[in-house]
Amino acid sequence: MMNSRARIFLTGVGGQGSLTATSLLSRLALDRGIAVVSGEIHGMAQRGGVVESTVLLGGWQSPALAWGEADILLGFEPLETLRALPYLKPGGAVFSASEFIPPASLSAGKAAPPSLSLVREAVGAAASRAWFLPLRAIGAGAGLPASGNSALLGALCASGELPLTPEDLAAAIRRHLPSGVVAANLAAAARGAELLQGGTD
Amino acid sequence: MNHPLLDPPGSRHLLLANEGIVRGALEAGVNVVTCYPGTPSSEVPDAFARLAGCGLFRFEYSVNEKVALEVAAGASLAGALCLVTMKHVGVNVAADPLLTMTTTGLPGGLVLLSADDPGCHSSQNEQDNRMYARFAHLPCFEPASAQEAKDMARAALLLARETQQPVLLRTTTRVSHLRGPVEFGPLPGPAPLVAYRRDPGRFVPVPAVARARHKALAANMEAVARKVEESPFNRVEASSQTPPLGVIASGISRAYLHDALEAGNWRDAVRVFHFGLTWPLPVRLLEDFLRPLSRVLILEEGEPLLETAVRALAQERGIPAGVSGKGGVLTRFGEYSTPLVGEALASFLDRESAPLPFSRARPDLPQRPPNLCAGCSHRSAFYAVRAVYGDSAVYSSDIGCYTLGLLPPLDAADFLFCMGSSLSAGSGFAAVSDRPVVAFIGDSTFFHSGLTGLANAVFNRHNLLAVILDNGTTAMTGHQPNPGMDQKILGPGRVHLDIEAAVRGCGVSLVRKARALNQKAVQALVREMKEERGVRVLILEEPCVLFARRSLARARRRTVRVAIQDESARACFDSFACPAFRLSDGRMDVDPELCTGCMVCPQISPSFTVRAEGA
Repeated sequence: MMNSRARIFLTGVGGQGSLTATSLLSRLALDRGIAVVSGEIHGMAQRGGVVESTVLLGGWQSPALAWGEADILLGFEPLETLRALPYLKPGGAVFSASEFIPPASLSAGKAAPPSLSLVREAVGAAASRAWFLPLRAIGAGAGLPASGNSALLGALCASGELPLTPEDLAAAIRRHLPSGVVAANLAAAARGAELLQGGTD
Repeated sequence: MNHPLLDPPGSRHLLLANEGIVRGALEAGVNVVTCYPGTPSSEVPDAFARLAGCGLFRFEYSVNEKVALEVAAGASLAGALCLVTMKHVGVNVAADPLLTMTTTGLPGGLVLLSADDPGCHSSQNEQDNRMYARFAHLPCFEPASAQEAKDMARAALLLARETQQPVLLRTTTRVSHLRGPVEFGPLPGPAPLVAYRRDPGRFVPVPAVARARHKALAANMEAVARKVEESPFNRVEASSQTPPLGVIASGISRAYLHDALEAGNWRDAVRVFHFGLTWPLPVRLLEDFLRPLSRVLILEEGEPLLETAVRALAQERGIPAGVSGKGGVLTRFGEYSTPLVGEALASFLDRESAPLPFSRARPDLPQRPPNLCAGCSHRSAFYAVRAVYGDSAVYSSDIGCYTLGLLPPLDAADFLFCMGSSLSAGSGFAAVSDRPVVAFIGDSTFFHSGLTGLANAVFNRHNLLAVILDNGTTAMTGHQPNPGMDQKILGPGRVHLDIEAAVRGCGVSLVRKARALNQKAVQALVREMKEERGVRVLILEEPCVLFARRSLARARRRTVRVAIQDESARACFDSFACPAFRLSDGRMDVDPELCTGCMVCPQISPSFTVRAEGA
């Protein structure tokens, strides 16, 4: 389902690089001549808090998304994917990391962690299409853990959900990322696109 | 110098609105930029700092907002076109000079950027600084897109130069932190300085001068109002019909309105007044807009300022339109959104609107609150002070990362008002209470407004232990320079000030200093100082761990593991609560990825030891 007018909600954990991915996605859209506005809330991003951002394609003016407004949810961490599910329009698409980054309350053993199967189940009930990718492992395989974020963008661009292709993404990575990280991000993006071809969850 | 913000006219870039402001200021030919950093304004001065080498303007991180505004106002008296940036609460600090400089006017021109934070994403209140436009008499621009942030920054500076009236450029977090395409205009180079002419009858506001200037201010604002009537930033959206219903929208509400009208397919149902230059009121423009309407809806986040003004105007001019504003979903609290504006519109237009369906939020999920980083020296400082005082002391906190000390188990914050309040509010509390007071303040905050509280505490024989958490940078807002920073990092353009010398200069005789990560030394000093009375200052030094890694390129030498699973390790887990601690299958460990090798936990419990290579 190709949609030139789409609202995307992105969520992750401070320090993960989800804002870099947000900015890359926005630049990629602008390079392709698509109207874009993007927003981010990151007052204490470096302190391990939740980092939420948005990319709105096709002529919106508000950079914010409210519950039920997002066509697509990109979760760079599965607990945050679960937390952000109310933003997703029922029947929307979800692209999520499958590896947890436990919050401090969990690491100290004070709260029970949700399982990935619980996340998959909740996502399955809210979304019509969902993909889970091991971003950190993909990043590590590409030689740079943070490049795993590009795998999620690679999957998004290969899914046909947006008028953006894996080739467009590769061009944007070359154009907008620092030269030292281009190779790893290209590899991770390609791996994300490849895993997507394997089918939805 | 090569930087995208200096690209030629006609270039198009995806910019943060805060970066758009920087480009707009350069297009106006800004000569001097001063600031105190604060979310959500900080990207503006940080971009100027990166561009400072281009030689087009003079830039400084001032020690606080009042100083920043005064430095810029002085430069403007000397003829420079000036921009001063801060977050909304910073304007409170700067309010004293602000309310006088708007009466004298400033020949070179001055724009004050106030970045407000409705919703309190990273602030202690959600005050609406459009109030200052009315209170201090500042023309007020409110951008709603990155392009407008650029265009309005330029227009605000040019208006300030032309009218000599200081101007407010007011953003909110949503605006400051949105990204959108921005098309660049010409970069004409620095504005010419306006020649200084001595005029104490205008610039020295003794009472006789001040009375005359109050009238001059009123006249000048009337002249500005005539320009506001003509401004391209205030426009009525052409509509095929002229329906008897209208909407007046300002700030980011304009974006929500645009999207909500499209979503409801209601674009022809209302006339829209896009209000971008919102003060002083363009009375004629508003009257022309309101006159044919039967009803009007006012969309503004925060306080009902436009609403009150429109109601007053309607009453004064006998305009029959019914005015709707705050009430129902349009609250004074937090932020508006597209669905919220859609709901208000539906009700205003008497149309159907179904709330958007969405899946239920899960309140049971483990929270992920911001936390002091693994290896943060503040955690060590709080632990050591608690080890001595426990719950017996009252902890007076201040603004910075260390405010996060309020979280359990550190519990190192009992109250807080604003920048610098730890020392003075702590003094007052101790004057009445029989409990000891420990005040925590960071290095940048100490120079911002801790010095005066400290001088007062000494002068009035107050009784408190002040702990200065000196991490060598302004960590909370992104590691901006402050006077306490190391001279090597500051470089030749800035001079390091010694905190200990400043403290002693304020008359404090009991001053001690230690490395914040040295538990034994810090606890011994706290124990010693607890026995004394009067003003005591403990300076705890250790670079911010993020700053040390990024700017000082300090590598991690070793990490820690839990060697023995015992009560001592468990107690350290529970009381120190480092984010690198991991509990899996009942076994305690330290995440080697997150551990910074600060070596505090082995000092607390012998069950923690250095991790061997590869272990």
